[in-house]
Amino acid sequence: MIRTIDIIHYAYKQAPWRVQRQWISTFLLIGLGLAMIAALYLDVTAHAALTGRAIQDLNADIIAVQQSNADLETQSATLTSNSAMQTRALALNYQPVQSNQMQFIVVPGYIAPQPVALISAPALQPSAPTIRPEYTQSLLDWFDQHLHSSLSASMLGASQ
Amino acid sequence: MREQYAWRSLTLASILALVGFAIILQIVRIQTSPEAAIFRRQAAQDAQTVQTFYPERGLIYDRNGHLLAGNKTVYEIGVDLKSVKDKNAVALATGVELGLNPNDLYKLMANPPSNLTYLILANYVDEDKALALQQLKITTDEQTSSSGQSSLSGLEFTPHPERTYPEGSLASNVIGFVSHEGRGYFGIEEKYNDLLAGTPIQESVSIDPNKAADLPQVPDGTTLILTLNRDLQAATEQILDDSLTKYGAQGGTIVIMDPRNGEILAMASTPRMDLNQFWNYSSIYQNASEYNLAVSTPYEPGSVFKILTMAAALDNSTVTPATTFLDTGSFLIGGVTIKNWNDQAWGIQDMLGCIQNSLNVCMAWVSSQMGAQNFYGYMNRFGVGQLTGIDLADEAAGRLKVPGDTDWSPSDLGTNAFGQGVAATPIQIMKAASAVANNGRMVMPHVLYAMVRDGRQFNVPAQYAGSPISVNTAQTLDHMLATSIKNEASLAIVPGYQIAGKTGTAQIPIDGGYDPTNTNASFIGWGPIDDPQFMIYVWLEEPSASIWGSETAAPVFAEVAQKAILMLNIPPDAIRQQIAQH
Repeated sequence: MIRTIDIIHYAYKQAPWRVQRQWISTFLLIGLGLAMIAALYLDVTAHAALTGRAIQDLNADIIAVQQSNADLETQSATLTSNSAMQTRALALNYQPVQSNQMQFIVVPGYIAPQPVALISAPALQPSAPTIRPEYTQSLLDWFDQHLHSSLSASMLGASQ
Repeated sequence: MREQYAWRSLTLASILALVGFAIILQIVRIQTSPEAAIFRRQAAQDAQTVQTFYPERGLIYDRNGHLLAGNKTVYEIGVDLKSVKDKNAVALATGVELGLNPNDLYKLMANPPSNLTYLILANYVDEDKALALQQLKITTDEQTSSSGQSSLSGLEFTPHPERTYPEGSLASNVIGFVSHEGRGYFGIEEKYNDLLAGTPIQESVSIDPNKAADLPQVPDGTTLILTLNRDLQAATEQILDDSLTKYGAQGGTIVIMDPRNGEILAMASTPRMDLNQFWNYSSIYQNASEYNLAVSTPYEPGSVFKILTMAAALDNSTVTPATTFLDTGSFLIGGVTIKNWNDQAWGIQDMLGCIQNSLNVCMAWVSSQMGAQNFYGYMNRFGVGQLTGIDLADEAAGRLKVPGDTDWSPSDLGTNAFGQGVAATPIQIMKAASAVANNGRMVMPHVLYAMVRDGRQFNVPAQYAGSPISVNTAQTLDHMLATSIKNEASLAIVPGYQIAGKTGTAQIPIDGGYDPTNTNASFIGWGPIDDPQFMIYVWLEEPSASIWGSETAAPVFAEVAQKAILMLNIPPDAIRQQIAQH
């Protein structure tokens, strides 16, 4: 009986090279999986880094544009300053008006100019710009977040 | 044979495993070594930098939206001593482009203060100069890129904002200035420094692009809109400067206020300074009170003060316009003899005559009839000797001696009645006189029209400082002052407009008495009296062309009033009455 079992076992036992190949394949598969995860991780990290750098550049651009706006407004004010405008008016042969040269006429419905209103209506407040987590999270962060959220969801469900 | 291969494979695998294990061991060892902790700490430090985010200082506009104070970009130019390779070239290029001495720059770099790795070579450099130097550095970089090291390496450019004043010296006495440290001095810049400057935010910022975060939202400083009218301010300053030359005055101030709400439309004072060169302050002014005579320098105002005395007496029913007084040319009070400006007796005068002829004797009699308690009670209600509360830095309160003060004497009741022995600022007199122009209601003078913050404009409402006199008293005195201007054919008359006003010629106190030769000439007036839209105060210090306010300050008032009428679009009385009839 035992002899018979040995024969059967021997008959169905895989050749050693097959077993070796299976082991190698298994390790290769695991290695390949790890390599894919690593590649994915590297890709996401590289993208996140590039996006982060782009955000830093944009932040610097915002500051530069703000400074440029302030400069332009100041330059405009300098070009239209009282002394500059007087000089230009005189160069164009304008003369300061005298009180005896003024003629007042009645204009129905005329409304005298009012002091400046720099902002006529309350500005709409846009929602604060925020960077979505997809652009800052690493793969591990993402995994960690989802793990935590699903854990807390299940705990919440258990408590109910 | 097969066993031999197996043996070799096993040996090779063992060696590789051993090497792998050694590598892992080494990794673990490095990670847990004391040096690793230092490196981790250093990396953490380098990955974060603490940055201070300064809000942009609030802007300042005039009432018509003209920018009076703004911000511009200037550069700090420095050198990183760790990366600089050719100090000589850096010193030469920086020196030539910025107009500095290259030798000094080289010495600075060659002998830096200990522990410094970054040296500031120049700060507050104008954008065009900084960009020229930056361009030179870029060109040099390109030319020397093959050698791998730029001769101008290490030069660094850091932009930052600086306060700038597009109008230069215009309204400098009102605006004030901001030092390089960012602190406001004088005027609006000092009074509203906290609002304008905003609140800087310090935050740790990651350099790691994987941890890029939003910039902190730093709200800008509050933007201010002033009540000043830029063009009227410029015209007023021009008239003041011309008047100093014409009348040989040492200095002066002219203020234009809307008596209906206390808005200051123009406030000129001498001397002025270019606010873009604030470092010249100490060479222009001897002390802070000279910065704005209108609010910081109390003086004995002289006969313009008679408006307040007469207002008090009329309101108190001590006199009426028809009350008569026999002017004998002198009046004894508290042991002191009061005399008129021309030392003459003017005979029988009613109260209009007293005001019109500016009789000291009459006014001293009026105040003595009122009594000290009533007189000083009214002066207190007019705010004499008190701060007006105007929103400008360094306001002075002046001084009004009252009974009970150690240095008060009964003769002060007489001299105070015509504006001697009392010190007040022009803005104080204007505030008090606004009660006469404004149907008894006294306004709070102010320079701020509105604030702009968080996308909203908040207009500042007019404030009133009580009603020291009745409507009836105000209107009566208003007409008395207008009539006196008309009757004496004053140089303050503005054709087509009914103006109320009063001249002042005040002696100047010196040690132990009064200056026998010099005077302060003043005039306060407003109009049109049926709808007063401007109140003008003129003070000329020690005019040499004439000592009399009627010959110096009064014509200056007329000139300013004509400008104000033009720029504020105030039609003549006849036209306004036509409009009213429509």
